[in-house]
Amino acid sequence: MRWLATIWRNLFHRRAVDDLLDEEVRSHKQLLEDEKIAAGADPETARREVAIEFGAIELIKEQVRDVRRGALLEGFRTELRQSIRALRRNPGMTIICVLMLALGIGASTAIFSVFEAALLRPLPFRDADRLVELAETQLDRGLTEVNFSEADFRDIHDRTKSFESVAAYDSFETNLTGDGEPEKVSAAQVTVGFFRTLGVNPVLGRDFSPEEGDARIAILGNRFWKARYGADRGVPGKVLRLNGGSYTVVGVLPRGEPWIDDQVYLPYPRHLNADRTNREFNVVGRLAKGVTAEAASAELRGLALLMQAAKPKEDEGLGFTIFPSRRWVAPEEAGTVLHILLVAVGLLVLIACGNVANLLLARGLARHREIAVRSALGAARARLVRFVMIESLLLSTLGAGLGLVLAAVCVRGIRTLEFAGIPRLDEVSLNPWVLCFTFGVTLFTGLLCGLAPAIQAPLEAVATALRDGDRQTGASRRHVRVHSMLVAAEVAFAFLLLVSTGLVLRSFQGLLNEPRGFQTTHRLLFSLSYPDDYAQDGRGKEFIDSFLDRLSADPDIVSSGAVSVRPLQGPNPGMGIEAAAHSPASGFPPVASWRVITPGYLRAVGLPLLRGRNFKQTDKPVWEERGQPMPSHRTVMLSSAVARLLFPNEDPIGKHALLWKGETNLDAEVVGVVADSLESGLDQGPALTVYLPYGRMAVPSEFVIESRGDPASAFPAVRALISHLDPGLPIRDVRSFEEVISRSISWQRLNSIVLTAFGGFALLLASLGIYGVLSYFVRRRTAEIGLRMALGASEWGILRIIVAQGLLPTLIGIIFGGVIACWLSRYLKSLLFGVRPIDLFTYAAVSALLLGTAALACFVHGHRAMKTDPAIALRLE
Amino acid sequence: MPPSANIALLQGTLELLILKVLALQAMHGLGISRRIAQVTNGAFQVKPGSLFPALHRMEEAGWLTSEWGESENNRRARFYSLTRPGRRKLKEETDNWGRISAAMAGALETS
Repeated sequence: MRWLATIWRNLFHRRAVDDLLDEEVRSHKQLLEDEKIAAGADPETARREVAIEFGAIELIKEQVRDVRRGALLEGFRTELRQSIRALRRNPGMTIICVLMLALGIGASTAIFSVFEAALLRPLPFRDADRLVELAETQLDRGLTEVNFSEADFRDIHDRTKSFESVAAYDSFETNLTGDGEPEKVSAAQVTVGFFRTLGVNPVLGRDFSPEEGDARIAILGNRFWKARYGADRGVPGKVLRLNGGSYTVVGVLPRGEPWIDDQVYLPYPRHLNADRTNREFNVVGRLAKGVTAEAASAELRGLALLMQAAKPKEDEGLGFTIFPSRRWVAPEEAGTVLHILLVAVGLLVLIACGNVANLLLARGLARHREIAVRSALGAARARLVRFVMIESLLLSTLGAGLGLVLAAVCVRGIRTLEFAGIPRLDEVSLNPWVLCFTFGVTLFTGLLCGLAPAIQAPLEAVATALRDGDRQTGASRRHVRVHSMLVAAEVAFAFLLLVSTGLVLRSFQGLLNEPRGFQTTHRLLFSLSYPDDYAQDGRGKEFIDSFLDRLSADPDIVSSGAVSVRPLQGPNPGMGIEAAAHSPASGFPPVASWRVITPGYLRAVGLPLLRGRNFKQTDKPVWEERGQPMPSHRTVMLSSAVARLLFPNEDPIGKHALLWKGETNLDAEVVGVVADSLESGLDQGPALTVYLPYGRMAVPSEFVIESRGDPASAFPAVRALISHLDPGLPIRDVRSFEEVISRSISWQRLNSIVLTAFGGFALLLASLGIYGVLSYFVRRRTAEIGLRMALGASEWGILRIIVAQGLLPTLIGIIFGGVIACWLSRYLKSLLFGVRPIDLFTYAAVSALLLGTAALACFVHGHRAMKTDPAIALRLE
Repeated sequence: MPPSANIALLQGTLELLILKVLALQAMHGLGISRRIAQVTNGAFQVKPGSLFPALHRMEEAGWLTSEWGESENNRRARFYSLTRPGRRKLKEETDNWGRISAAMAGALETS
């Protein structure tokens, strides 16, 4: 306790403690003087001798202070106070430094908060690292990830030893009716033990039990429960009407992504004869304790061979693959993009640090004498270093404070964003992890900014500094070199950032300019959720016919049509397809996606018919309809790409193709060829698409309307028409075609926006750096310039010196940046489209941009230097 | 003054000497340094630069206590005296010193 009291006294009653010491030293001197006088010296000599014997009194006092308790804290406090004073003396510089650091720290905190939520936050499942996803493979057909068939799942489930448990779910959409508006909800049938496998226990009610496969019971996802039942705790026991069936709610799941959120879960009945061809099972597994994913893969390989041997026909080419559960939250793309953004923001921080270091350095030189005096008075080197470090840490702390405000604003904005593919955006927050990161960045930036000035500070040669006063000529050369190195580093970092920005922007532009095939202007898409009976007794066809008929009578609607799958917004059902005349030995057929369309669809999305004819009302669906004879003559249209593939160098019209080749092998006549489109994604190239006619069995539910003016203003009439025809029909996902496209590239958009902002800031900061070093250089060498001019140097000669001074570090920075960019840009490759990572145009443009900025700064300063009046400049000496 | 390489040893020595000379009576700084010079036959000339830090450190450690008083020639001076922990410390350090010096002497003789 005693030492605490001492520290307290030393820290907070410093004045008293110091006064005491002063008085003691004074009395000691007095006693010494008395002694000398008593020994016979005259008072004057005595005083001088005492002064000599004592040496530097301040040094003694300093030493006493150093041995006192809390000396470290005390020193820290003094230096902190001095730093604050120094920063307040220089408000302009302080504000600029704090702003730059706040920008860097704020931006990195915001990016990290997204990173943390999407990639670092653990899954809400017990021992999530043991959870894996399983899929089948058919490598001989080039399929690396196929859903399980029920039979394969049962086989694996019964035989595997690597897993503590495996379970499957089969998701589908269903109509929820009963109280309130009818609604389409997503649901999943899950096998027994699904929730146990995930490690999730219901927060209300209970899990399904093993014998309940056929029971009409349901478990609710948390979000669904909150949205639909307002988090009513009495919900177990209530009855849910799904597709006309009644299901009793038995439990509610805890909050958590993915999957167990916005859904209804029903038990999956175990069939006696499990289906071998219908591949709809998603399978999750929990590895047994101590079993690695590799070991489990090896076991599955063995099982696949056994299964192939048992059923060579059905299971030919069968294999299994395992994915870590991490990808449930963030798709691989998300990881890449977020990593790249984190690196980009890191570069931004480094550039800001470079600038702050430069400013501190320049300011440190202006205080050259102060530092020299301090060291002459006995300030230790360590102390000077500490002083500089404390100052830059103070700056970075202030920057962090402001940066956190900035980050908080960003985070609030981010939470309202909706970027398909970045998980948990709405859960992004400045939580302790993020704050730890911010703390780390603050410390790092503080130390980094202080590094150059701190190394520089003790190097000041005391004598030279004191003699030269403010005009250092010899020392300034070294200082200019340090400045130039910092600027070169900044330019290199800015180069990296700008090249990434340029590459991403060019890919984005390329994506937008890609010929899409379809037209998007004045077009609107929406979905209708049909009840199940629409597909059975022809009600759906009646509805769609009368609906489209009435739409075409509307003068505001130019065209309208329906399709089974919305463009650019999978799922993408596929089929093997082959020309009927082909020999069967030609290997596996190409896989094309198929769409059921109404005749008006092509016009509505603006896809031109290249050859042949469009569908007519007489074209019937390719499937057998209940109560109707098997269709004797089937018709299809092909996208140009499919036609080229199936009938190279032939006229495909009138030729026959086999649909679902290898499965049902339906023979159909090709009646038309449709222009190619980027149906499956702007970066996916022309899609292979097979168009099938709609009918009583196949009722497309995605609608496209083309209106004369703004489609949004035409939509109320459409909505009224729908509710007039069937008041119970839910309308979903009303979006303009433009919006659908823009959502399909939300990744690239996010990347472009953020990188553009970062690139802009990087350019700004780097040009500030170049500007600053030149300004410093010109100021320091005013005298020299004056002398040169007095001796007859031309103005252009002076300009040349300045330009060399500014452009050299920029050039060096560009060269280094270029080399590093060539090396690093391959990590960008997966995000680029139509641009190579080493794209000469981008590199050249970025170089020109940076050089241009530097040149501008040079001319501004050069102009000033040229106007130097030799007489005035020399007088400054 | 002995070379500065012996600072660590000397600091302990100086503190022991201060404790020792204060054991008899309270003294002010100059008195302490004069007495040390006297008892060591002039081997230790304690300068203020060493004396003040040592005194303040020892006071903070609780071995010394100090108060203002009148010097022999009626000057105001800060007088230091030993506390109870200071006396204990003196005894400990004296024993220690005896052991160390005996050991050192032995070591230097044998080699």
